[in-house]
Amino acid sequence: MAAKAISSPVPVDWYPTLAVIMVSVGLMFTATFFIYEATSSRRSRSLAKEITTAAVASIFLGFGSLFVLLASGVYV
Amino acid sequence: MIVTFNCLQIDLTGSIVKVFLTLKVENAASASDASQVLVAFMPTEVQHLAIVKATRAEGKRKKKAYTPLSVQESDLPTTPNGARLYSVQLSTPLKPGETTTLQVFYVLTHSLDPFPAEISQSESQLVYYRDSAVLLSPYNVLEQVTYIKMPSNRIESFTRVDPTTRAGTELKYGTYNNQMPNTYLPILVHFENNRPFAIVEELVRKVEISHWGNVQITEHYKMKHGGARHKGAFSRSIQLNASWLLTQNFLARLEYQSRPSISGTSSFKNLLARLPPRVHSVYYRDEIGNISSSHLRTDSHKSELEIEPRYPLFGGWHCTFTIGYGLSLQDFLFEADDGRRYINLTFGCPLLDTVVDDLTVKVVLPEGSKNPQPVVPFLAEQHLETSYSYLDVVGRTTVVLKKKNVVGEHNVPFQVHYEFNPIFMLAEPLMLIFAVFLFFVACIAYLHMDLSIGKAS
Repeated sequence: MAAKAISSPVPVDWYPTLAVIMVSVGLMFTATFFIYEATSSRRSRSLAKEITTAAVASIFLGFGSLFVLLASGVYV
Repeated sequence: MIVTFNCLQIDLTGSIVKVFLTLKVENAASASDASQVLVAFMPTEVQHLAIVKATRAEGKRKKKAYTPLSVQESDLPTTPNGARLYSVQLSTPLKPGETTTLQVFYVLTHSLDPFPAEISQSESQLVYYRDSAVLLSPYNVLEQVTYIKMPSNRIESFTRVDPTTRAGTELKYGTYNNQMPNTYLPILVHFENNRPFAIVEELVRKVEISHWGNVQITEHYKMKHGGARHKGAFSRSIQLNASWLLTQNFLARLEYQSRPSISGTSSFKNLLARLPPRVHSVYYRDEIGNISSSHLRTDSHKSELEIEPRYPLFGGWHCTFTIGYGLSLQDFLFEADDGRRYINLTFGCPLLDTVVDDLTVKVVLPEGSKNPQPVVPFLAEQHLETSYSYLDVVGRTTVVLKKKNVVGEHNVPFQVHYEFNPIFMLAEPLMLIFAVFLFFVACIAYLHMDLSIGKAS
């Protein structure tokens, strides 16, 4: 049987680096989101922009927290 | 069928009994083709029988090849005194008048009875072994000889069934000629055996597969010293009656650990586990925390973990502990030709020279796996259950394999095949993303709402 070894989709050694990068990018987008919320008035806000920033921030934070878990040895 | 020559070699040097049987069998001239050879065991042996293996020698002296044969428990009722028959299936049937040589190997556990059953710390351990001087066989045995090998020169007594000779650590029974079928000549040997009787009463091995790159193994041990029970008080300082220097208990402990041979010879203080190469994150702990007395040596072929229980184990003493380690995924997980995944692991207990009374292997497959199918080279009770771990919604399918009476010979590879769609790997990150996004949506909703009391201006 010609069996093929299966490895992780991302090399395991990259997990700590990826965790740091993605969490920091995610936090930057979060900061942008809250700065926008705080500096604009209720009438001048654009919902589309809010949702887009929130979506990008949550994608980075979601993957970032996954890689934090993986890098710290919690293999989900 | 007749047995023309039989050589029985019984190895009593360890805590388990290993028996090598060399049989020359001849199919009687006027009979039909024989496809199986029967081997008989006493009822007391059957309940302690851990494994039976048979090989057949083929070819002449130098080109001798041994082909493994399958051994099955046979349920022929025609045996006296409840003896049980195991049938060795021959690969090619034996024609009338032909002879062949079979080698049968079997392991008996819990077959050495300590006598006296209780010893003090300074005594050494003596055990009884009961067997038959001749092979219990449903066939006529023309010629046979039995060798019993002891661990030391100290043999207190042994039954004489002439001709019986003793040479150093070995007893020889035979040669006996022309024994009738089902002959049984009981013998009793009383000898010194100070090997540690390390018995794992219960072992649960949990294997968690993560397709993100890790196979995590956690092993829970309930260990017991199965030898002669310890009598009287245990003193670490009894052991150093010779050395006047070491009066403090701490130094005494060091003394015990560095020179265990002074006394308490049947006790054991360390265990060696052979783990796969490239292990990482190894830990060794029990209920109250980490146990620091362990050593890990790794090379490219294997890893060796040497662990010391918190106290040396004497007869009848128990200890429980947990070992855990991580393995890299690509060494153990493979994709078969039909697209199914399979994990290839070693079945038995990684501790050397131990008997496991009750072994449970739990293979926790990743969430979303379907149709698990274990492939184990011997009989093992199996069922499925669901377990929950981090970020699980529907739970992980878990294959549970159970086997009693496991010895080192059971450390063979086994596989669990299952279907897995890699898209399920995205379930965990999507859950995290969704959770964070919900938080943002809540923020947006809060900031868009007017919660001020009073009239809006």
